[in-house]
Parts: sequence; C-alpha cells; structure tokens
Amino acid sequence: MNFTPTAEQQELMNAVREFATRECTPERLLAWENDAGGIDDATLRAVAELGWLGVGAPEAAGGTDGTLVDLACLVEECARGLVPRSVTGAIRAVAALAELDPAQPLLADLVAGRKHLALALDEETARSAASYRTTIGRDATVTGGKAYVPDALAADVHLVAAREDGGLGLVLVENRAPAVRTTAVKTFGGDRQAHVAYERAPVAARVGAPGGAETPLARVWRRQTVLALAEMVGGMDAVLAMAVAYVKEREQFGQKIALFQAVRHQIADMGTTCTAARHLAWQAITRVASGTEEGFELASAAAYVGQAFKRVCWASHHLHGGAGFVVEHRMRFHSERAQSLCIRYTPEAPALAEIAAALLDS
Amino acid sequence: MDYDLSPRESAWRDEVRAFIRDHVDESLSRETREVGNEGRGPRARKFLDALRDRGWWGLSWPEAYGGLAKTAVEQWIFIDEIETAGAPMLPLTATSVAPTIMRIGTEEQKREWLPHINNAEIDFALGYSESEAGTDLASLRTRADLDGDEWVVNGCKMWNTMAHMATHNWIAVRTEPDAPKHKGISMMIVPMDAPGVSVQAIWVWPGLRTNALFLDNVRVPRSYLIGERGMGFYYAAMALNFERLSIGSVGMARRHFRALVNEVRTREIDGRRLREDPWVRERLARLQVEIDAARMLGLETAVALDRGGVPASESSMAKIYVSELTQKIADAGCEILGLNGQTHAQEPSALAEGRMQWLYRIAPMLAFGGGTNEVQRDIIGFMGYGLPRK
Repeated sequence: MNFTPTAEQQELMNAVREFATRECTPERLLAWENDAGGIDDATLRAVAELGWLGVGAPEAAGGTDGTLVDLACLVEECARGLVPRSVTGAIRAVAALAELDPAQPLLADLVAGRKHLALALDEETARSAASYRTTIGRDATVTGGKAYVPDALAADVHLVAAREDGGLGLVLVENRAPAVRTTAVKTFGGDRQAHVAYERAPVAARVGAPGGAETPLARVWRRQTVLALAEMVGGMDAVLAMAVAYVKEREQFGQKIALFQAVRHQIADMGTTCTAARHLAWQAITRVASGTEEGFELASAAAYVGQAFKRVCWASHHLHGGAGFVVEHRMRFHSERAQSLCIRYTPEAPALAEIAAALLDS
Repeated sequence: MDYDLSPRESAWRDEVRAFIRDHVDESLSRETREVGNEGRGPRARKFLDALRDRGWWGLSWPEAYGGLAKTAVEQWIFIDEIETAGAPMLPLTATSVAPTIMRIGTEEQKREWLPHINNAEIDFALGYSESEAGTDLASLRTRADLDGDEWVVNGCKMWNTMAHMATHNWIAVRTEPDAPKHKGISMMIVPMDAPGVSVQAIWVWPGLRTNALFLDNVRVPRSYLIGERGMGFYYAAMALNFERLSIGSVGMARRHFRALVNEVRTREIDGRRLREDPWVRERLARLQVEIDAARMLGLETAVALDRGGVPASESSMAKIYVSELTQKIADAGCEILGLNGQTHAQEPSALAEGRMQWLYRIAPMLAFGGGTNEVQRDIIGFMGYGLPRK
C-alpha cells in the first residue's frame, strides 16, 4: 500500500497549484462568471500551452497520453484551486473522445485549444442511455434535444449520444444554427450549461460503430465519474483548509473561535470526513484505472464522497458565518461545485441501489 | 498511488486466513458468545496458544526480542482478519505490556519479564482508571511509597478487566506526590497473589465481567517499577500507541454487519422477502459505505505508522468513526430484524447469532471507552489541524 502520487504526478499537481494561486484570484473568478466562455481567451490559451488539455489525448494528437490517474491528479488540483470549470470540462471532453476514438482528427484541435467540444448526453427526462429520445436518422442527421449540457454554447462541436437503428450511437455534430439551437440555462456550479435542440443536424463524424455505443459510453461515464471524485476531493481539501485557517484567526468573546470545543469538534469531523473521502475516492480512481475493481468501490466512493463534500461545505459556511457568505468569497464557488458535481456524477440513490443489489441480490 | 496489498501483504493475509480456517470453528465462536467474558474459555485459550506457537504473539515486537517485526499494515491485516472471523484477539499482555517493557524497561527487567510473557506463564490485567480518574487519567490517586527496597501500594483501580484471571497487574501509580500531576505517575507490576490484593467483580451491561482492584498495603520489590520514576503517564500514552490499530479496527462491526446481511437475504416477514424492503436496502447500503470509509481510516493509521509517524489524529478519526458506526449498525440491526432483534444469543431462534442486541449494548462503550470521543476530537483538532490549545 502506498497512498502517494508518483514524482511526475506530484510535479503536475504542483504546477496546477502554482497556476491557480496566481491566476484564480477572487476578482478574476467573479469576472469569469460573466464571461460567455467561463474563462478569458488568454487564460485558456495559457492552459492549452501548459499541455493540460491533452493529458487524456494520444501523442499523435499533441497530447501526453496520460493515464486516468494522471487526469485525476490534474483535475483534483484544478478543483482545489478553483480553476474554471471550462478548463476541467475541456480536459474531460478530450479524455472522453480520446477513449472512444483515439484517431479522431478533431482531437488535435481540442488539445491545442483551437476548438472546444461539449459532451451532449443527458436529456430533460433521461439520464440513462436507454431512455434517450434524441435520434440519429438514416440520413445521417440528429434530431431531438439535449439538456444541461456543460459548455455547450461555446463549444464548436457536440459529441451527441442518440438512439439509432440497432441501439445507441455516438456522433460529432457541429454547433451551427439553424440545425443546432443552443440556449443557455442559468444554473450554478460554473459549468456553463445549455439546452440544445437538434433539428436534422448533420453528423460531422461517427464515433465508434453505429448502434454499438452503449458499452463504450458506460465505460466513459465511469471514468468521468472517477474524475468527479478527484475534483470533489480537491475542493473538499480546500474548503477544510479555509475553515481551519479561519477559526484560528477569527476572534469572538475575546478569544480565537478555535478555542471553543464546539468549533474544534466541527473541524475534527470535517477532517475525518475529508480523510475517509480522499481514500475512498482514490481507491476507486486507482482501481478503475487499472481495471482491478473487486466489488462496488466506485459506487461506494460515489455514495460517500459527493455527500461528504456537501457536508464539509455546509460546515465550513457555518464556521465562516457572514464572512464566507459574500459573493467574492471562495466558499460559495466550492459549495456550488459540490452540488453541481454530485447531481451530475455521483447522485446518492443509484449508488446506494447498486450497493444494495450487490449485498442482497447476488 | 496504490491501494492494493503488496505481494508480501497478500501472502501474509492468505497465511492468516489459512490459520483461521484451520483453527476457528463454530464451537469457538459459540464459546466466545456464551462465556460472555472476554473470550477466555478453554477453546479461546487453545486458539491463543496456537497463535503463540506460531510466534504471532510477537507480531509487532522487534526481532531482537524474538518478534516478527511486522509492518503496521500487516498488523492491521491480522487484526482485521481475526476480528472479521470472530476469533479471540491477542491478549494485551502481548500487544501492550510486552512492547512497553521492550521499549522502556531496564535490561534486568527485560530478562525478568519477557521470557515469562513469551512462554505465557504470566498474564496481565491493565490498571489505569480509577473512580475519580477516567478521562482525566492524570488525576489518579493510587499511590506507591518507597519503604526500604519495597514499594507499598495503596488504592483502588476500576475497570480492571481480566484481573480475576490474570497473574499480574500492570498499574499506573502516583510515586511523586509533590510533582505536577502528569509527572508524578509511574508504571508498576503487582503480582495478583501478593498479600493485600483483592478483586471485586463488576458486571457491565453487555454481560461482561470487569473488576475493581483493591490494593491495601501491597508490598512489591523496588525493581517492579518499570522504566523511569514519574514517566508513567507518558508510558501509558505510548502503550496506547501500540493499541491504535486495534482500537480503530472495524473488523468486529463488519463481522456483525455481514451476519445481519445474511439474515436479510433469506428472511421473510408478512409473506414478503425482507431484502425487497426499500428501507432495509437503503439502510444496509449506507452502512456498507460507512464500513468502507471506516476501513480506509484504519488503513490510513497503519500507513502513517509505517511511515514512522505517531498517527494520533488519524487513529482518533478511526476510533470515533468505528465507535459511532458500530452504534448505527447495532441500531439498524435490531430494527431490521424486528421483534427477533431483541433476542439473546442463547435463544435458538436468535438471528444473526443474537448479536444485534449485544452490539446495541456494547456500542456505547466503544465511544466513551479507550479515550472518549470528545477527547479524540480534541486530538484531531490539536494534532491533525494545529488548532490552538489556549
């Protein structure tokens, strides 16, 4: 057993940490919130030049062919430092496409930051592929609607999952009106979501065999979930560190509030939660990465970590009081991301259902 | 980053499992339930002898003392497997007293005591607490005064579990009455057959026997004070360090949870399978997640120990988590089994070995014993996150 990253991974994490400390200041976080792309062009170019967008892409596409563990290290640090979700979204999209079709020519543009890809999967009333209503017609066009698609507005291309003859298909569609109409939807969490309507939108390229996308997409989704675990762990650590720093400094009734046992014990519980979450998450990350899962590690981590992040955020808000409630404060960015990541990637009910089935029905 | 056992650790786990397969059977499990008394019936003794023959009493001991010097992760694996199998755990003589003597005893004291411990000729009860010194251990009042070449010991120890079976007692006594309270305590060995030693049974709620130990002008040789005078409080803290892996182990809770799950899989009530009840499914799944989390905290303690640290904060996290989780498992177990959930183990109809109501009774002790959870949370705040003390 060894709970530490490799030297290379640590180097990558340090680089992200330095970048985030320098770039992701409260002023810029607020400014990026009002930017259509969620980040300014110069910063996104800087990120692309650092090579982060290509960690999940093959070398032929300009990437570094990193492992899922490398990606997890990367996004954990991005989340810790509140690097804009457009960046982690781009890292995720590249990784997903590279897993599905490593030879896809679009990858090189994505890695270089010249183009952006959105993963258009969920629908207003469908979260599982079996329930999708969007279809790929025999004329190679897509019709239907996708909902809550992160970064959909600014994306040049959408990777759309839709029903077709014989099963589920995955296709690339250019985000171009009038066949594709993208409407921003105001949500929290900073991942720039939009609803998308496809009306006989032409398929630009197929990803994988027609009708055979169910299994590859499920695999990709597990890996996306794994990355969410890493993001949550990074965010949670940051939230705990802020709370610890604050209670050591804030004075009330003539003393540091950390001296109150009721406050100290909340820190202790937050610390315990973060520690358990970190290890459940990283056990799942490493096992999924190496294909050595022994049971329901991913479900167990999903059930624990998402809830843990939210719990730690609320405790930290409580300890910060009004000081942490102003819009400039980093706390609320983390709290929004906690719920946003949890809803999308680690909802508790299906994770518990999977565990119950493993315990009781096998 | 690697959460899997190394080949060496896997091989060790397999060895422990094979031993358990050969030495643990239903009659041993039944005895540990029936004796209701710290697992020291004839079958348990035989099991502990077999562990000793294997050299496993010295799992954590340095090789210089005939130990196996296993890593903390390997010790964690051992504890986890033994507890999950419901087998008796190693005696505190082997896991707490012996390593303390190895660290702090004089060469003469090591020669005098360690071979007897190794041969299981002597067995210790541990006497730290007193009626007025529980969580605040440093206020203990039992005192020892030097009279020529002998200590004269007077006082009363509480929760002196195993004293009625032990040959010796390992007690904390005040030897320096004028020193600050943390610095006036020493560790001392008292033979149970010394004149002036008496034991009174105290039965506690889960059906276990513990004891009060009375010391009335008990005379012990001067050399029975182990280590340095006045350092006893710190030695007790050090001894606790040796127990961290056991205290934070989720093995027992996991064992009873498994028994519960097995009952739920097959039981029917009102013509409906219990496992189809959504409330039961959700509750069990939540507990399973928490068991997974608790195992991680225990492992974290072991990994930190192997890195050479004193994982005070980590082990406190594990202790709090496991104790509070055990309460939840006990409560859920009783409720899920319904009316059967209150049944004692000796009833033939008892499900899950009748352990749910027993777990319900013993669980509170896990939270207040071994350092209350409030103290553990303070330790996490101070040691883990550097919160100020004043």
